[in-house]
Amino acid sequence: MNQGKEILVGLVIIAAVLVAVVGTLWLQGTNFGRPSTTVEALLESVGQLSEGNPVTFRGVRIGHVSAIEVEAGDGGVRVTLLLDGEVSLPADAGLVLGPESLFGDWQAEVVSRARFPRFPFYEVPPNEPTTPRVVGGYALPELSRLTASAEQISLNLAELTARLELAFNQETTDNLSRAIANIEAITQEVRTLVQQQSELAGAITANADTALAEVEGAAQAARRSFERMEDFMGDAQMDSILTNIRIASAGLRTVTEELAAEDGLGATLDRADSAFVRIDRIAARLENGEGSIRRLLTDSAFAVRAESVLEQLSLLLLDVRENPRRYVRLSIF
Amino acid sequence: MLLSLAPVQAVGRGALRSVAAVGRAGYMGMEAARALRKVGFWAPHLLGQMRRIGVESVPIALFIATFTGIVLALQASYTFTGAVPLYFVGTLVGKTMIMELGPVLTGLALSGRVGANIAAELGTMRVTEQIDALETLAYDPVAYLVVPRILAGAVMFPMVIILANAVGVLAGWGTALSLLDMSSPEFLRGLRLYFDPWDVQFSIIKSVTFGITVTAVGCFFGFHTRGGAYGVGKATTRTVVVSSMIILVLDAFWAAVLL
Repeated sequence: MNQGKEILVGLVIIAAVLVAVVGTLWLQGTNFGRPSTTVEALLESVGQLSEGNPVTFRGVRIGHVSAIEVEAGDGGVRVTLLLDGEVSLPADAGLVLGPESLFGDWQAEVVSRARFPRFPFYEVPPNEPTTPRVVGGYALPELSRLTASAEQISLNLAELTARLELAFNQETTDNLSRAIANIEAITQEVRTLVQQQSELAGAITANADTALAEVEGAAQAARRSFERMEDFMGDAQMDSILTNIRIASAGLRTVTEELAAEDGLGATLDRADSAFVRIDRIAARLENGEGSIRRLLTDSAFAVRAESVLEQLSLLLLDVRENPRRYVRLSIF
Repeated sequence: MLLSLAPVQAVGRGALRSVAAVGRAGYMGMEAARALRKVGFWAPHLLGQMRRIGVESVPIALFIATFTGIVLALQASYTFTGAVPLYFVGTLVGKTMIMELGPVLTGLALSGRVGANIAAELGTMRVTEQIDALETLAYDPVAYLVVPRILAGAVMFPMVIILANAVGVLAGWGTALSLLDMSSPEFLRGLRLYFDPWDVQFSIIKSVTFGITVTAVGCFFGFHTRGGAYGVGKATTRTVVVSSMIILVLDAFWAAVLL
């Protein structure tokens, strides 16, 4: 009878103790008999991380945080990770601590440091032992810090809104409304003016084109005339012409004197005589080098300058046609 | 004049009785502590009391825990729907069962079953003068009757409550799987999310104090029973009421002190 009581009580006690111990270890994530790997990480701080938080790698849970200890001196915080089985971590592995969800629970994620070049991972001192492996870590800013920043931003926005409310009263609104209406009217007027100016500029441009074409034609005609005159008015030819004119003039004077002796032809002959005298005078002036035409005919430098002027005029006309804005400017204001 | 002072007199009488009861309780506690040295008196009865107080209380404790776990899971899912991830059902079931409802509900249930039993038994012994007879025979009634019950309560209450916690969590897990369309990994994720071994230690510490409270209160009122069968009934009722109140006060006390 007493033995039965003892067995019964013993069973209850053993069962309760086993449930308490095994249940606690199981809920802590302890591996019962399975191999595990220990990895340590050094960090400046661990944020909200606590023992038992999960360790993930590429999103998969591979273990849990088994210990968190503050290093002596200025050595940061050492976090011990107990990984399930043998996990092959990257050669440049680092530990990033961050919130697992919005409810305050954190996790430790094993990452390749190359993927996060901007994270200031803790630099592991070279004298750290190689077993267990020690990696550098970085704790993301806590949600409370972000919340504080957001609160500051909201305060600034509130202040800005208050100032806007002060500045943007009914009077300001009316003024702005009137200003907008004025701007619309001015815009309409400017649009009309621009249209008018555009039409005017088009007409001017068309006229200028026509004038330029005419000037160019005249210049080309002048050039051709000068060229023909230059060819025609060589020195030898000119002398021959003058000689011939003088001879012809003398012959004509003789004929005139003979004709003058007869009745009816006297007036006609007098007028012809006068004309011939003028021709003779012109020929004499041409021979003596007097007047612009003679200079043009006899002075080669003058002819060359005139030709140069014509060339420049032609170039100018060409440039005016190609770049009318350089010479014709339309300004509204 | 005397009629007008009657209420004041009643208050004074009640206060004196309370202080006297506290004094008697303290005195009995000192006697019990002193009686711990008399191992020969209490040791032979310890096993029997452990069976009566602990083993025989397991079924009712597990029954209460099972339905508590079920209700916790259902109410948690009802509360969390839409706003909070459903895996927090596991968190709520685990935390609440281990830290609060397991110890408190089991303690309250056992205060009725164990405390009332002790009070009725010792009260009957008192009114039938069996305790007086023990004293006459040079037995230390405290060492013989009180110490084994308090020790049994201190040892077995945590055992019963641990089992109740486990069964409550399992019941919540089963409810989550069968009624809440949750998966085991999901429930376990929430269960493990905020689990801390300290939770179990906290539960055990409370359980020990609840066990000592329920058995000590039952022994005290049974030991000081007066007036026959009526007195026994009264002692039994007082045991359940007072031990339940002390359990709730201790629950708040430990939460304030240990958490």
